Amino acid sequence: MADVCLRLQYACPWQSNMAAHGRQPVLSSTPLQILFHLNGWYFAAFFVAEILMFIYKGVILPYPQDNLILDVVLLLLFSGLETLRLFYGWKGNLCQRSLALFVSVAILVPCAVLSVYYLLLQTFVLRLEFVLNAVLLCFYGFELVLGVMTISIFSRANIY
Amino acid sequence: MSALKSLVPARFLTLTAHLVIIITIFWSRDNNIQSCLPLEFTEDQYRTEDTRLTVALSVTLALFVLELAGFLSGVSMFNSNQALLSLITHSSACVCLSFFVFHQWPCWTYWIIFSICSVFPAVVELFLLLSQRVL
Repeated sequence: MADVCLRLQYACPWQSNMAAHGRQPVLSSTPLQILFHLNGWYFAAFFVAEILMFIYKGVILPYPQDNLILDVVLLLLFSGLETLRLFYGWKGNLCQRSLALFVSVAILVPCAVLSVYYLLLQTFVLRLEFVLNAVLLCFYGFELVLGVMTISIFSRANIY
Repeated sequence: MSALKSLVPARFLTLTAHLVIIITIFWSRDNNIQSCLPLEFTEDQYRTEDTRLTVALSVTLALFVLELAGFLSGVSMFNSNQALLSLITHSSACVCLSFFVFHQWPCWTYWIIFSICSVFPAVVELFLLLSQRVL
């Protein structure tokens, strides 16, 4: 995929140089890269939608003050964690580093917990929130499986 | 060139938004069914309309699976014609379906939205998949 090769060139120049000279096969997982790319965009849209829904819920529904503040703060925490996870996953996959990818999979766990919180356990759950979080959890499932497979591929390969 | 690269996430987001609205309508189709029946309706009439709308929504979901398969497998991800078609049809579907939910349009309007905005891009997607000899 032309796009992924371009990204490889900008993210890990030494890697793409070696691949171009035909010395090492490129082990980065293309499906995982596509998922990270799309997940980034999807999460941006999800974040904007959640902020708007919290404004809507805050006005219409009888929220106790503490619960609303908790939910908004958890949303900000969620966005921070998700950005970190996607960055580590992106870099780890393109530069073929197992540790960065492992950190990404490790951060996936609290991100999934937060997603389940917004799906089931928050004070007022809208139908739209349910569906959006379900789609996000599907993303996480695929990324978990592909991430673990890619870590094993990287660990098995003989580099240098 | 950068405009071409942003077609991919834009197309994915409109596809997902349409899917989310379809699932939401599936969940809350009670209101829409009641709006296309006369003021006093029998249980039988309700069930007929319910079945029709459920079938329409299920076929829409099946066409979605087809389109997502074509998109995510890479067959039509970088095909800018299909991307533009998909973008236009699905975003107009999102707008129309939002009206469908909020203004409680009658049931027959769903078939129009379905044929223009779900069947058309799915047929083109199927054509692309077949021409790549994937199916």
